[in-house]
Amino acid sequence: MRRAVAPLIAVTVALVLADSAIVTLALPDILFNLHTTVAQVAWVLISFNLVLGLVAVPTAVGFRRAQPRVLGAVGIALFAAASAWCAVAQSIEVLIAARCLQALGGALALVGCLELLVALYGERRGIATWISAGVIGAATGPVAGGLLTQAFSWQAIFVVQVPFAVLAVPAALAVRAGPPAQPPAEFVRHRPAVRSNLTLALLSAALTAALFLLVLLIVDGWQHSPAAAAITVSVVPLAALLARPLARWLRPPPNVEIGAGCFLVAGGLAGLALLPSAELAWTIAPQALVGLGLGLTVDQLTAQAMHLRLPRVEHASWTISARHLGVVVGLAILTPIFTADLMDAQVPAEQAITALVLDAPLPAQDKVDLARALGGLLTDQQGEIPDLHPAFAAADIAPEFQAAADQLERDLDAQLERAATHAFRDSFLAGAALALLALLVLAAPPWRRNP
Amino acid sequence: MSSRLLALPAVALVLVGLVLGVQVAYGGGTFSPLEPADPCAHRSVTSQSEGIDALTEQLVLIGLDEAACTLGTSREALTLSLAQSAEPSDAEVAALQNGLEAAVDRMAADGTLPQASDLVDDVLDQADLNSFIDTVIRALPDSVIDNAIDLQDVLKRAIADLDMRELLANIDDQQALNDQIQAAVTQAVKESLLDRLRSLVAGG
Repeated sequence: MRRAVAPLIAVTVALVLADSAIVTLALPDILFNLHTTVAQVAWVLISFNLVLGLVAVPTAVGFRRAQPRVLGAVGIALFAAASAWCAVAQSIEVLIAARCLQALGGALALVGCLELLVALYGERRGIATWISAGVIGAATGPVAGGLLTQAFSWQAIFVVQVPFAVLAVPAALAVRAGPPAQPPAEFVRHRPAVRSNLTLALLSAALTAALFLLVLLIVDGWQHSPAAAAITVSVVPLAALLARPLARWLRPPPNVEIGAGCFLVAGGLAGLALLPSAELAWTIAPQALVGLGLGLTVDQLTAQAMHLRLPRVEHASWTISARHLGVVVGLAILTPIFTADLMDAQVPAEQAITALVLDAPLPAQDKVDLARALGGLLTDQQGEIPDLHPAFAAADIAPEFQAAADQLERDLDAQLERAATHAFRDSFLAGAALALLALLVLAAPPWRRNP
Repeated sequence: MSSRLLALPAVALVLVGLVLGVQVAYGGGTFSPLEPADPCAHRSVTSQSEGIDALTEQLVLIGLDEAACTLGTSREALTLSLAQSAEPSDAEVAALQNGLEAAVDRMAADGTLPQASDLVDDVLDQADLNSFIDTVIRALPDSVIDNAIDLQDVLKRAIADLDMRELLANIDDQQALNDQIQAAVTQAVKESLLDRLRSLVAGG
């Protein structure tokens, strides 16, 4: 059991931070199964990040005298119970409430787990493990969520978290760690590292574009399965793994490493904005840039924000807060841009469809019938990317014209893919701008401090 | 120290430049939906249908282009506007009527308008005529039919007689649409024949 304690605690940290984006690929299923609206289903994602971002620092401050093993165990238990509640939620309101509770438990767990890992591994390795587990969790969340949704259901995302968390409770209680040493009375508490946390927040907002919008584009825009999307976006965590060896090889100073990482994230997002086609393969290189950038920045920034700052757990919580509020800000900025662009894309898409149907090498009556059916589908599926196949499946096409009809269906789908890809372009560019803003914050001259 | 400072930014710059360069070279940034063509530019129109269906399709496609050109919009935008609005505007109705008449003239000018005799069998198949009259008309030589019926004139008369608002309202009702067009064409054939007779009598 003792050997499993530290890994279980690290996995718990990864699970909590994976929950930030783990439901991204499950949102269409949740939308359908809980009969809700797009605006409401977005809160499944937002609520967790918002609550975690808001309660992380107060939790660290409020429970600084608590026993980390008790705090960690209570947090993990609450997180597990809330995950189970998420899995059995029958309405969107209940699911959002459960997600808020999950974030609250997650905040307690993260604060407790940091001290537990420090007690188990020592300060340097303990903090490094806590940071790395968080980065891995955040990067792999969408992949895991997509695979579970495809293999089982959206509920499986929450079910699989329960046993890990249940095992982590006794693991946390088994660690002998006292409350963190309190600084002497005359000790002046270190201020939060504003620059590092702000950079982290802006970068998290930018990464939202890659982790959230890209899966939406792949699943809703290009009509791929959640599993295909999950496999595709696994490029990000895989590329993130290459960041450490690259940094060790080139040995850049920390700020240069972070700056290069911000630039890579911005470049990757610009690449996603400039996709030449709707082939999944074209997303790989831009994602690799994003992943490499993520690997170079998030752990370095987190370490920088915590470096030699006391109380340690409070500064760790500032980084959690910065990251998750950054995600919320990213969603708040990017979602309206892409929903407005998606609405704007409707007219050119309809015109392209009209042009192709009018010019299709099909008998006039077939064109009229198809136009009528397509018009009905476009009206019924207003506000979302339509599935045109039912119009073709229902059409009574003569065998000699079936090939032309099949070609028309492929051409129309290609136009929809073009329209969807184009609609996401500005959001990816906005994400790239956020990453460049993070770079500017990092490169800005030192800020004057009050004496 | 300088190599430690510059190496990673240089690698990042090269990687980003490479990825964006390849994407732009392969059309990145221009991957957007098909742009509607200029309706005022000549567009060749073909049809996979035969007989009256082919003629109707060609007239409608050319007519839409002509109407869209007059209205300063695209053929696609006009089609969607006509399909989606319950009440087309006076300008749209007038442009469509003029566009269809212009389509007849264009097809006549470029020699793609068929002869009346090419359509007789198709018309008789659709018409509910006495079998004796049907047989007599089918037996007439093509030259007699083509001399008797000037298709360009008949079509322009039919288009002028058509109530475009009613036609657009009937677009989802195939039977009503056929009845409306058949009535307009029959009337146009009668008027055209009468005019030919009058001119023959006057000339004789």
